[in-house]
Amino acid sequence: MKRTTFLSRFGLHATLAVLVVWSVLPFLWTFQTSIKFTRDVAAKEPVLWGYETTANAYRAFWLDADDVNMWSVLLYIAVVAVICIALGQIGRRMRHGWPWFASVALVIFAALWRFPKIWEANDEYDFLINSIVVTVLTMIISLSIGLLAGYGLARYTGISGAVILIIALGFRALPRTAFVLPYFFGAKEIDDWLTRTGVGSWNFPIIDFPGIDTLQILDTRLAIVLALVAVNQPFTIWMFRSFFMEVPKEIEEAAMMDGATRLQAFRKVIIPMMWPAIIATGLFTMLLAYNEYLFVRVLAPTEWTLPVAIVSLTGGESSRTITEAAAASVSITLPIVVVIILFQKHLVKGLGAGAVKG
Amino acid sequence: MSTVTLDKLTKVYPNGFQAITDLSLTLSEGEFLVLVGPSGCGKSTALRMIAGLEDISSGDLYVGDRRLNDVPPKDRDIAMVFQSYALYPQMTVAENIGFPLKLRKVAKKDRLQQVEQAAQVLELTEQLGSKPSMLSGGQRQRVAMGRAIVRKPALFLMDEPLSNLDAKLRVQMRADIAAIQSDLGVTTFYVTHDQVEAMTMGERVAVIKDGVLQQVAPPEELYDHPDNVFVAAFIGSPSMNLYEAALSAASGGEYHLRLGDHRLAVSPSVVHTRPGLAQYVDKPLVVGIRPEDLEDAAVAPDHPSDQRISSKIEVREALGAETLMHFNIAAPTVDSGDPDALDELGEEDTGRCTARFSAATRARVGDHIEINVNTDHLHFFDPSTHKAIRS
Repeated sequence: MKRTTFLSRFGLHATLAVLVVWSVLPFLWTFQTSIKFTRDVAAKEPVLWGYETTANAYRAFWLDADDVNMWSVLLYIAVVAVICIALGQIGRRMRHGWPWFASVALVIFAALWRFPKIWEANDEYDFLINSIVVTVLTMIISLSIGLLAGYGLARYTGISGAVILIIALGFRALPRTAFVLPYFFGAKEIDDWLTRTGVGSWNFPIIDFPGIDTLQILDTRLAIVLALVAVNQPFTIWMFRSFFMEVPKEIEEAAMMDGATRLQAFRKVIIPMMWPAIIATGLFTMLLAYNEYLFVRVLAPTEWTLPVAIVSLTGGESSRTITEAAAASVSITLPIVVVIILFQKHLVKGLGAGAVKG
Repeated sequence: MSTVTLDKLTKVYPNGFQAITDLSLTLSEGEFLVLVGPSGCGKSTALRMIAGLEDISSGDLYVGDRRLNDVPPKDRDIAMVFQSYALYPQMTVAENIGFPLKLRKVAKKDRLQQVEQAAQVLELTEQLGSKPSMLSGGQRQRVAMGRAIVRKPALFLMDEPLSNLDAKLRVQMRADIAAIQSDLGVTTFYVTHDQVEAMTMGERVAVIKDGVLQQVAPPEELYDHPDNVFVAAFIGSPSMNLYEAALSAASGGEYHLRLGDHRLAVSPSVVHTRPGLAQYVDKPLVVGIRPEDLEDAAVAPDHPSDQRISSKIEVREALGAETLMHFNIAAPTVDSGDPDALDELGEEDTGRCTARFSAATRARVGDHIEINVNTDHLHFFDPSTHKAIRS
């Protein structure tokens, strides 16, 4: 291991430095744009420092009032973050972490729910809620299916298992654009049928969906979630399968000898071993759902998620919307950055091979 | 604790491979039975069939009066120790050992107490709070044992539990496991490919080859009276020397064994105690010589001179209490059918021979020496069926 010379180490670090600048610079530029006044953004010569800062763009994007002090909003977010971090830290020290993480989720939910009641929120706020709902639902559904299917395919060695895997890989390899129109027309057909037969306007006696008058698929979060789950499923299945392949068969056999049913062995022994895999796969699924543009744009003409909302701002050449778009980009990136920082250890572990080996 | 009966157990895989053929065994209450065989002989499959991890193609399995063929593993009341230990990595030692009790919904207080007891028996008390990844190989092995003994099952299954340990620890754990087993008195079915383990641990040893049971007997009997060439060669280390030979009658009721160029006098009593041998006079047969039945003639000069062979020492291994000598005998060796055995079949018509000399021998590599053969202890086998010739 003595072979690392000064020169090779210097070269490595120089390369890494260039890569960091290369990937962070656009974000910094965007951030800078978001806190400038429009006159500086629109200046012929880029104003790189010494400009006056403002939170106007953030205010314009999120709030429906011009006279709100953005520091109070920032304070609100900071307080919520501190509470979440405190709960998370307690949870980490407890034998059972899940009640504490559930309370974190509850705090975030409450904070999101209170926010538009304290400040007058724009329509964009609904898009944030849409983003969160779509992301969380997509994660839950595709992780559940992926775990079960991946486990099954890892343990079943027959020919049909291989066929399913190859088909899944095939669907993964096809460009996603190829699926957009079929999904759209499929959803439209279903909606047409619902209207034609009148099923869509039925009043279901037991399941009464609040706020939904007519049943439909197009332009709902459901449509986006279903499409994203379908697109993402091959990836989660392959991911989980490769993780399950590394769990020795003896472990679940030992559990079965110890008196567990197959399902108990899976739930109580295998799943707890799989957390790094679940977190890694979950993060990838989250990124996919949170950042999706095309599917949302086509399947939901009005029920947008944030990426679509931003793009609608960059359409014109007006410099006012440019700062707003930059502010929006920064605000939707930050939650992802936080999540990645929190879970980056698991993410690396999950990506490295042999993570599950005892 | 109960008797275990395997009645003509057979395992045929979907691809037609027959792993186990008509395996019949009975384990009496509290018995320690070792199933031994070379790798790939189907011994683990047999164990997994008893455990319920493999389906039984035909035949019956009884524990006590209960037929277990279609009972799922969790309801068989059988505990198993795996070769890889298969500990649950995310649980502590205490949780690992207590897991079977937890699944049986034993109250937490009783559970902790029983885990504590098991840990005491296995000397794991100090490790109860650690995760398996922090333990040494021997400790992991004991945790796996703990998981098995904590629930007092009807039968223990052990699948090569010592093969991942280093040699010294293995010897110690061998004694520990045997002691724990006899303390608890639980019927135990132990699988290994190591014949030393089988001989030292088993009350009875079952030798299996290619899924067919060869012989079941207490270790001494297995060693002194092997039923066939395979058992003769497999049991004992270094293994028995096996050659094609011929027996012929000589004057005065004596017999001669022709072993290549060598002629060995065989006393009439040898033939009398093995009545079947009379039919093989002047016919080819297989003779087996245990290494300890060979001795340097210089060490024991009183041995009859017509029971000697001569050869040149090729390899010498001094072990302290004894010295192993390897030399060639001009006689064709016989393949015992053990796939694990090293290919020691030398050149045509000259077979390798291993002898266990007393440490007093002065012979060195390259010496031409005379070697005494204790002809009273020879083993004879049929050349075509490989079965022992006795009655």
